[in-house]
Amino acid sequence: MSARWLRPAVRLGAALVLPFVVPGLITGLIWALPGDPASIICPPELCSGTEALAERWNLDKGPWHFFSSWVSGALTGDFGNSWRLQQGIPVAELLEESIPTTAALVSLGLLLLILGATGAATRWLPAKLDPVLQAVGLVPAVVMAMSAAAALTIGYGVEQYSDQANLLRLGLGALALGLADAALSGTVTGVRGLMESERRQRYVQMAILRGEGTLSNALPNTLPALAGQMRARTLHLLSGAAVVEVVLQINGLGDLLWGGTLAQDFGVVLAASFGFAVLSAALLLLQALVEIGTELHVRRSPGGVVA
Amino acid sequence: MQIALAGALATVVSTGATLAFYEESLPTSMNPLYAQSMVDNRVHELVLDRLYYHSPITNELTSNVTNQWELAEGGKAVRLTLKKGIRWHDGKGFGAKDVCFTVQAMLDEGTTSPIAQKQRAVFAGCEVEKDLVALVRFTKIFHNPRERLGFQVLPEHIFEGNTAIPPDHPFNTRPVGSGPMKGSMGRRGVAFEQVDNAHHEADIDKMILQEAQDPLVQVRTLQNNGVQGIIAVPPPYRPEVAASDELALKSYDLRSWWFVAVNPNKAYLADKRVRQALNQLINRNELRQLSIGVKPDEQNPPCEFISGPFVQSSPYYNRAVEVSPNSDKDAAFALLAQAGLKQVGGRWQYKGQPISLRIGIKAPLEIEAPDLLSQIGNQLSAGGFDRQEFKISVDEWNTKVLTGQSDDFDLLVGKWSFGLVEDVNPLFHSRSGDKGNLNIFNYNEKAVDSLLSQFNTARTDTQAQDAYHALHELLASELPYLFLWKLDTKSAWRTEVRSNTITPYYYWTVFDAWKFEP
Amino acid sequence: MPGAPAGRVNRVLPASLAAAGLALLLVPGFFAPEFLSEPDMANAFAGPGAVPPFGADQRGRPLLEYATQGAWVIALPSLVAALVVMALSTVGGLIACAGGRHVQTVVQIISEILGALPRLVVILVVALVLPRDGRGLLPIALTWAFLSAPGAIDEASAVAARLGGSRFVEALRAHGFSRPRIYLVHLVAFNLRPVVVRQGVETFMQVTFLEIALSYLAVVSNQSSFTHADSVQSWANLLDLGYKVVLGVHSGHALALGLGLVALVAVTAVAVTHAVRAR
Repeated sequence: MSARWLRPAVRLGAALVLPFVVPGLITGLIWALPGDPASIICPPELCSGTEALAERWNLDKGPWHFFSSWVSGALTGDFGNSWRLQQGIPVAELLEESIPTTAALVSLGLLLLILGATGAATRWLPAKLDPVLQAVGLVPAVVMAMSAAAALTIGYGVEQYSDQANLLRLGLGALALGLADAALSGTVTGVRGLMESERRQRYVQMAILRGEGTLSNALPNTLPALAGQMRARTLHLLSGAAVVEVVLQINGLGDLLWGGTLAQDFGVVLAASFGFAVLSAALLLLQALVEIGTELHVRRSPGGVVA
Repeated sequence: MQIALAGALATVVSTGATLAFYEESLPTSMNPLYAQSMVDNRVHELVLDRLYYHSPITNELTSNVTNQWELAEGGKAVRLTLKKGIRWHDGKGFGAKDVCFTVQAMLDEGTTSPIAQKQRAVFAGCEVEKDLVALVRFTKIFHNPRERLGFQVLPEHIFEGNTAIPPDHPFNTRPVGSGPMKGSMGRRGVAFEQVDNAHHEADIDKMILQEAQDPLVQVRTLQNNGVQGIIAVPPPYRPEVAASDELALKSYDLRSWWFVAVNPNKAYLADKRVRQALNQLINRNELRQLSIGVKPDEQNPPCEFISGPFVQSSPYYNRAVEVSPNSDKDAAFALLAQAGLKQVGGRWQYKGQPISLRIGIKAPLEIEAPDLLSQIGNQLSAGGFDRQEFKISVDEWNTKVLTGQSDDFDLLVGKWSFGLVEDVNPLFHSRSGDKGNLNIFNYNEKAVDSLLSQFNTARTDTQAQDAYHALHELLASELPYLFLWKLDTKSAWRTEVRSNTITPYYYWTVFDAWKFEP
Repeated sequence: MPGAPAGRVNRVLPASLAAAGLALLLVPGFFAPEFLSEPDMANAFAGPGAVPPFGADQRGRPLLEYATQGAWVIALPSLVAALVVMALSTVGGLIACAGGRHVQTVVQIISEILGALPRLVVILVVALVLPRDGRGLLPIALTWAFLSAPGAIDEASAVAARLGGSRFVEALRAHGFSRPRIYLVHLVAFNLRPVVVRQGVETFMQVTFLEIALSYLAVVSNQSSFTHADSVQSWANLLDLGYKVVLGVHSGHALALGLGLVALVAVTAVAVTHAVRAR
């Protein structure tokens, strides 16, 4: 396989295996946690059913047995019931609620970054604004989220989980994700740096002399790098989403992961990790498709050329 | 099935006034067999019925679900006749089969619950004699058998007769009960809806339980009428609540007292003179003032010092044993010197090794008494001991501390809460079999065990009081715990909430009488 | 070369700012008290005028102690994490120039998988697995560094690839330069330096923000701290105290201090990036 197809091929392959490799790795990690869920609910010193509980939850024969049982259930859509976080509720139901919520949160945050990137690439956003964005980006996401959470609680009171409040919660969370921790400022300066550097290339300057557009020439060459940058930013947003969700009490994957890990609710942790891995795999797939599409576009013969 | 509380809330808010309140946390389980916290106990009181309970007004044993009872089988069984017309929240009839199912579930080894495990020492079985008549059998003759029937009744039809109830049963989040309210837990709270019944007719249609936030946020939300109540207001915020005309502070009798457990298995703490010295180094007045905000000369303080394992209002409290509100460094140093400790460079050493005390506290207690851990550390440090401070999560407290597996700590700060029956046997009896199963540091003292046995075998209240008075005196000298104080728990409710009698320990027992007039 | 900026790059100012920032972040930590002072309720929420230089908390204890304890918690682990990321991304850039396609493919596969892990879960598990006496920010910072390394390696590889990869090395060899000089000077020092250092300072900032987030989450979850001893205060405690100003509490000075410290980290990071940027 030629080198130019190797990267997208690797990304495609990784996208396929990620949804199972990630939960597998997480299983290994959570197995190292002190104690186990069965002992937490039924401490052997106070309760005689610890072993029975461990057997019920496939905890009695090591991490591989647990993981393989989980995979065989997951392949049929059965992620089991929550053990501690929401006792008895099917984990699939929790996922059904959480995945779209996290996707919406991250998408809204990403929208902000895409707007900033577009503004920087087209020079619509002046470079003079960069220090302002950097100053705003200094505020950690957790601080923005804390203030928003307090304002929501006091403002809405008992209705703080109504549809309207939840929408506002999502919006504030997306703002916190997008603005804080230098997300937007980093995107703007990164894209601006990339595009300015490309603009200075000889071929672009020649294209300008020919009367062609800058972006139409520079974009195909920078698209893979831009896709990589945006994917990295999205992963950063996904990671930050967990903190924002916990602080702002958004019922997303990150909140599920956090609560599940603290409560050692292994089924929830694995399912939520699976959810994250699916989102990451989707991003990988997208990036691979962009790279493939760009390669095909860059290498197609231009029309109207006389041999 | 709708999970998000927002969905439940949308239905709730649209059809009537909703009473919202903050709890200390979300319940861990709506199934009383898997209760792990006081939050669980309170929530179960709303959703399910206990066979018998103590009236908060007359203190008599009362029942909402039984008409009459009689002793049977020579005192080893009780025959209960249930009231007619009681229904579960899904409309099915409540009967003797449910009572017996609950007993059988507790006896079933497949119900992996510490609570069920304890009940297996009490119950021997149950027989359905008629639709509304159940015969409950005990393992032995109990002095007051109805005291043992304080458990909540579970619906047999939901479990389809399967008495092995696991912790991940859907009932644990979506219970079907017979109590005044039907409850459903989401990720952010619990929604309650009133259900009319033969034995309940609550006045309040809907309630929302929300998880506690930052205490200041809770108080602000209450002041803004965003919620109508807070179950437990931390002491530093009570003056602000008390100052408002729209809010009322109400006592919630939890019979809880705070302590510092001392690890007698550590060589330098094995000698009781060292424990007595630590007791002398602690300035309770200062601790109370700095962490709870109570001044030494305050009239009717919400925080009352204790000298033993009972609250001062308890009949078991021995008033002859005095409290030590202030520290006495000279006395403490003399005791330490007698015990063989030496001071080098102002720091105490045992057999040439410096002593660094590892002090832990159950993490949620820092909300009620902010900085208590660091204040205790400061006082001990001023007394010449180095220290390290740790917060302990609830899970670790339940699985390690309460099961006697925290020997790496020297001191542990905690709180015990009791219902009407202050049975301290599990706290101080040496661990063996089912005895002493809450003995934090595996304290083992024969004289204490003997007094605890006397209490167990007491046939009259006087005998029981004598045993515990003697225990109080002995423990005040032996000091497996440094006894701190009883801290009143206060709830805050808006004045629109009326007739809100709060039952000691269980809180919602007489909820039917509560009114909400927004 | 067309497009190249003329004149020397001014590094003196950013380098001085960077040095000052690092000194302010690292040195005060060594003077941090082991435990906070005794409370003095008369000075509760006192401003910087009453309790210099930063004011006091709700118990009258100087906020300077929070700042120094927090610096002690954050500074060294963040620095170590930054150095780890810089080392790994340098290696990534070197592999792109020296390594074969197979090596790069393996590195890329590992990078993609590591990059897809939910970081907060991994961090939390690492934090919970640590023995109580071993809890601190360093293991968490190192974990974060290894999870962030794939992105850094990717970027460094891309820079090396744009240079021409192994052809760049061959060309310089043809000019008579030795391999060590080519790799260390021409590749790392001249070309990878800006991106590697930028990755390092970003990691430094991320670990700082991570510590603040984890400390805050530990408080709201009623857990023992994940990143430091429970007797120590972190900058998260400053921000937690400070944000209450929106609730009417007189803690604006705490918020200003907390945000100021975060700004110090960011300014230091930006200064370092400018000090090492390419001509």
